[in-house]
Amino acid sequence: MASTAAPTAPILTPPPLTDEDAARSFDRSRVHHARLGGRRWSLLWLLVGPGILAMLGENDGPSMIAYASDGAQYGLGFFVPFIPVLFAMAYVCQEMCMRVGAVTHRGYGELVLQRYGAVWGWFAAGDLTLTNLITLVAEFVSIRVGLAYFGLGSGVAVALGLVLVVFTFSGGRYWRWERIVLGMALFNGLFLVAAILVKPHAGAVFGALDFAPFPGGSFNTLLLLLASTIGATVTPWMIFFQQGASADKGMTPRDITHGRYDTAVGAVLAAIFGVGALVAGAALLTHGGGGIQGFAGAGFPEALQHVAGGAAGTVFALGLVEAGAVAILTISASTAYAAAECVGVTHSFNTFPRQAALFYAANFGIALVAALVILIPGAPLLSIALNANVLATVLLPVSLVFMVMLANDRGLMGRFANRRSTNVIGVSVIAFVGICGAAYGIDSFLLATHVIG
Amino acid sequence: MRAPAPDADPAARVAAGEPRPHPEEPAAEDELIMHLERDQFVAETSRPVSRAALTQRAVIALWALRVFAIVVSLMVIYTFIEQLN
Repeated sequence: MASTAAPTAPILTPPPLTDEDAARSFDRSRVHHARLGGRRWSLLWLLVGPGILAMLGENDGPSMIAYASDGAQYGLGFFVPFIPVLFAMAYVCQEMCMRVGAVTHRGYGELVLQRYGAVWGWFAAGDLTLTNLITLVAEFVSIRVGLAYFGLGSGVAVALGLVLVVFTFSGGRYWRWERIVLGMALFNGLFLVAAILVKPHAGAVFGALDFAPFPGGSFNTLLLLLASTIGATVTPWMIFFQQGASADKGMTPRDITHGRYDTAVGAVLAAIFGVGALVAGAALLTHGGGGIQGFAGAGFPEALQHVAGGAAGTVFALGLVEAGAVAILTISASTAYAAAECVGVTHSFNTFPRQAALFYAANFGIALVAALVILIPGAPLLSIALNANVLATVLLPVSLVFMVMLANDRGLMGRFANRRSTNVIGVSVIAFVGICGAAYGIDSFLLATHVIG
Repeated sequence: MRAPAPDADPAARVAAGEPRPHPEEPAAEDELIMHLERDQFVAETSRPVSRAALTQRAVIALWALRVFAIVVSLMVIYTFIEQLN
């Protein structure tokens, strides 16, 4: 579908075949046979992955802590409906990524770089690397907080995160990488279990769906909550990841419907599990929940243990470990896709490290740097974790604008380009995210410099 | 990974680590590539897409957004450092 600068080869000449092609061809052969045989569930099983991983990967450590903090400080009202609305916004953005990846078979970074110029491509990759590095530090903090509940230290957290990254590299197959991470991501449901264990009042949870007004606090607090909650739901890495993974998986325009199912299922699961963390946190509302605010969730598992029993604390702690671990894998992968795409070298999990050295080096390297940061004595880890989502929100509109441009590019997308309704929603999402992020950044800056009181 | 049966799909055999079919086995080679769309091959995706023509207005808008994002990011980072102090 994508128009290329160089003339294409004659249609009957087979292109040279690489091992990456062969591995992808195998995956596609299974899709082909499932489709021919009318095996709908098998087809769905084969085609789900990137969407669920992007959505559940974004239910990461800082995000779940942010949701739980919202619940502990303000209760369920406002946030119970707000979180699903945000994931609906995320669906709109991620569906575009999936569609562009399936139609062009190329990642976001390389398309921006080639279609709009190197400056924009490298800006996008730079934004991504900065926000990913900060977010990865927060993911290691999340694992450390979860493991600390079991008396384990930061060394174990670092080792666990890095071993997982290396473990998923083995096999030289995208399919294997995806299924391992997908299996781990389903444990994000631990937050739902934690919510059940705190025995919430069902009427209060469903009653909160009527979108109660914001519970109070200063204007800056409202902006911080909006910016960090948006940053907990839609981020630049998700854009790079889902488009790159959809292309790596070998999705084609025929798979777009299933790609939408995949993305929608991911959004629904992520919203349910996110609300689970909120409900679990809300159990602390009447037990001094305000005290949670200062330490960014470091004491959530123990606080839950005191309020709702050891099982709730244990499940929440395990959930934080899972959320951090899965996010380390998906966020590192998005960095690897971006780096290798922008440099123009092999970028696929359907290769071995010796065939795609930069791709795997970037994947492991950024995780290693983040891991080293949390080993620095006295590093302001929790402040970093709190600000990671806000910075992602501030930089997100630029990534989204290029996403919408790519999805509207008829030279690339043909009849799969955005409809008018998708554009209206997409532009509204960009405006909302941009206004919230900018308002928080400007208001906080004016407060910090004492321009306003 | 399980070893595929000898009569398995050539793509399965290659994915399991066996050498690719010899080019003189056209049927096997064809079967290997038939599951991929032509523009999915690495040889095709390695060719850059053509550059889009952006209007002057679009370029100015993109630069304005970029500068705005950098300025607000610097504000967030400054506030973060200020809070640490």
